[in-house]
Amino acid sequence: MTTGTVLLDELRTRALAAQSVVHELPTWADVAALALALAGDEAVAVTPTLAAAHPELAAALGARLLLPDPASPFESVADAAVGIAEGVLAVAESGSVLLAHDARADRAVSMFSRIGIQVVSRDRVVPSLGDAAAWLEANEGAVSLATLVTGPSRTADIERSLTIGVQGPSDLHLVVLG
Amino acid sequence: MSVPKPFSERYEAALANDALSESLLSFQRSWRDTRDAQILDLESISGLKAEALSSGLAAMKDGVIADLPATIARFRAAAEAAGAIVFEATTAEQANEYIAQLCRDRGVRTVVKGKSMVTEELFLNEHLERAGIKAIETDLGEWLLQLDDDRPSHVVMPAIHRRRQEVARILERELGVPFDDDDIPAMVRSARTALREHFLSAGVGITGANALIASTGSTLLVTNEGNGELSASLPPVHVVVAGIEKLVPTMADAMKQVRLLARSATAQSITTYTSFFTGPTPGHEMHIVLVDNGRRAMAAEDWSSAALRCVKCGACANVCPAYQVVGGHAFGHVYTGPIGLVNTAFHHGIEAAAGPQSLCLSCGACETVCPVEIPLPQQILQVRRRVAEEVGIPRKRRLAMRAFASRRLFGLGVRLAAIAALPFRRGRFTKAPFTARFTTWRSAPALPLRPARAHGALHASRAAIARTEATGRRVTLFMQCVSDRVAPEVVLATADLLRAAGCEVDIPEAQHCCGLPAIDSGDDANARRMARQTLEVLAGADDVVTPAPSCAIAMLHDYERLFEDEPVWQERARRLSGRVYDLTGYLVGPARLPDGVLARGDTRPVAIDRFCQGANVLGRGDTLETLVRGLTGANVVPLDEAEVCCGFGGSTSLLAPDLSRGVLERKLDNVRASGARVLLTDNPGCLLHLGGGADAADMDVTVMHVAEYLAARLPGR
Repeated sequence: MTTGTVLLDELRTRALAAQSVVHELPTWADVAALALALAGDEAVAVTPTLAAAHPELAAALGARLLLPDPASPFESVADAAVGIAEGVLAVAESGSVLLAHDARADRAVSMFSRIGIQVVSRDRVVPSLGDAAAWLEANEGAVSLATLVTGPSRTADIERSLTIGVQGPSDLHLVVLG
Repeated sequence: MSVPKPFSERYEAALANDALSESLLSFQRSWRDTRDAQILDLESISGLKAEALSSGLAAMKDGVIADLPATIARFRAAAEAAGAIVFEATTAEQANEYIAQLCRDRGVRTVVKGKSMVTEELFLNEHLERAGIKAIETDLGEWLLQLDDDRPSHVVMPAIHRRRQEVARILERELGVPFDDDDIPAMVRSARTALREHFLSAGVGITGANALIASTGSTLLVTNEGNGELSASLPPVHVVVAGIEKLVPTMADAMKQVRLLARSATAQSITTYTSFFTGPTPGHEMHIVLVDNGRRAMAAEDWSSAALRCVKCGACANVCPAYQVVGGHAFGHVYTGPIGLVNTAFHHGIEAAAGPQSLCLSCGACETVCPVEIPLPQQILQVRRRVAEEVGIPRKRRLAMRAFASRRLFGLGVRLAAIAALPFRRGRFTKAPFTARFTTWRSAPALPLRPARAHGALHASRAAIARTEATGRRVTLFMQCVSDRVAPEVVLATADLLRAAGCEVDIPEAQHCCGLPAIDSGDDANARRMARQTLEVLAGADDVVTPAPSCAIAMLHDYERLFEDEPVWQERARRLSGRVYDLTGYLVGPARLPDGVLARGDTRPVAIDRFCQGANVLGRGDTLETLVRGLTGANVVPLDEAEVCCGFGGSTSLLAPDLSRGVLERKLDNVRASGARVLLTDNPGCLLHLGGGADAADMDVTVMHVAEYLAARLPGR
């Protein structure tokens, strides 16, 4: 096994333990296909940053693409069936994706969709939380909102009964791209 | 939300709530298993032992605490460079008023809040309410409590004391629709819908912080629900409120904390959301309120500064046997659990700490799970000393302590009591009607008319049965005051075992009490008097052995601290500490008899209660099990939660008998489940407590000190 395979196996194991679903997909068109399948016949929200960086994703979603309204980003994507965001790193140690957003519209998509898809390029899978710390230290000031997301939103506040899906998405798909 | 009610009301309410202790018991058990597995997992990920990770985190936090001004300055510069506004508040009033004024300036009447203990500490919601500003909690548990005018009872799981039926009624009242008591997902969905409206309409979002990162000016926040992330990013103004102890130097340091935090808190490897906020998002505002409110005073004192390492994980409460019985409303003030007994004194005053600290059993469990190695048991004792000085010692504790202070009075008292109780003797116990509150659930021992020291057998010689390292050594037997007067058979058995191992046993007549009851009561003057007397009596012996590990621990760990301002006595205490053993320590050390020398053939299942302080302070694991099995071939059966306190807790069992009883019930249930017919302990206080409890509960189990069990199997006895 190559180091890459070991890393990916660890990421998959940890992400599954956090109740994420892990996919390996070759292209953005495949990401779009996954999103459309998960959305049924509803719209798919995409973070403005990702839509600008990868027009092929927006193109593949066609009329089903939903972009947040800059004037009221959260209201405009509230309860979208699926929201796609790109992460800057995936951390094998914890099964997390590091989302680094400077725009609230990006966060609106990642937090307010019912199903979240987080895409990380294969070469951005890192072994440890220490690597995430190094990225955050190096990118000081570049991002105002950075969140390591590990699985779907959850609570155990009522009689310690684990309930998935509180404020954030109740299903989370982690896509390793390429 | 209101401020906490008086302690006595909180304590009585907790004792009356059986459902509370049941649910906390099941929580503590499952948390322990999951957390232990998570710590092992972290050891395998990091390649480091848990102790090394905790010491590293503790050292990092200590470094910050030792140099707060410089770290605050670095953080401030970086946060301001990122566009945040930093405000330093010395008092709660300053912090609250800054936030209220900010709301007024922005014309904001509604704020949303992420879960934050520091704003609970400040009573921020109450302050905002008086200013006409409505603060809405968005953590599900906190929101439910707010709707019911209740307070958090745990730093991480605020509503752990509430049942789902109660939650259903709270939501029905708030939302006007019916809820099925068993449909928790439906309750959560409705809460999501209701809270979302608030996120979208609030003008200010207030969150706490799990860390403040000096190198980047970022604030770290972890949540599972995502409510903190929404509170921080939806409203146009984000206010972070954090104690100055949350500072860490770098992102790498913050990540070390992340690795231990969730594992210690909810026994997860990481929370769902681990967020770093660095300055405002474009077009918005970010304010960071750094709170002192007693923290600099805490940092200034040697005994308390380590409490500032706290990462508010709540692990200490999750292993605390007293917390299990009464929950956080009684075992705490605003901050709950063992750490709450300490920091309450600084944030809310010594009066507020007085009641809660009186419930600590000093078992030491909290310190063993703290991810930043806060010496909580010693700190709680120090708070107790402060309470004794500034508020006073409760009457019952004072009387108990006075009884111990004089050897003659104590001896005479026990003898008079023994005579008075003669008509009520029932075998090994006394059943007197006038002591019902203490004895319906724990039979009092049948008091002996003669102390151990008056028994000829104690001073008679006995042949050694094997050669040990201790053969020929002169051992001073420190009988322990309680064993001498109340359980002389324990002292006789100890002497027999020492002589069987070839020791020459010396029993100074002047010995009395080591001072533990006074130390335990926070009564410094009496503690010093008794400790000095004990040090004088024990000077000169090769080794000192006592059948009471609690007394050995007092001599080994408490004396040096007690005499920190009396160098001469401190030096004497230090010299003694190299020579003091409890019987168990001596029997597995210098006086280890060869396996199989004692009589075998007792097939009764034997369970061994691991004296809590032995496990938690001395780090003993299955030492006694191995010894008893090896020496006698006994059928030692596993006992669940063997190292969890039995509820004796010295004077606490006198001051808070109902608490003591609750903790004892947990132990006796475990003993029943073990199927044991013999229960052994090596601490005399626990022996009387467990023996009395098992008798009152009509259990078919003989409770003995391990010395008695072993000595009964010596040749010719």
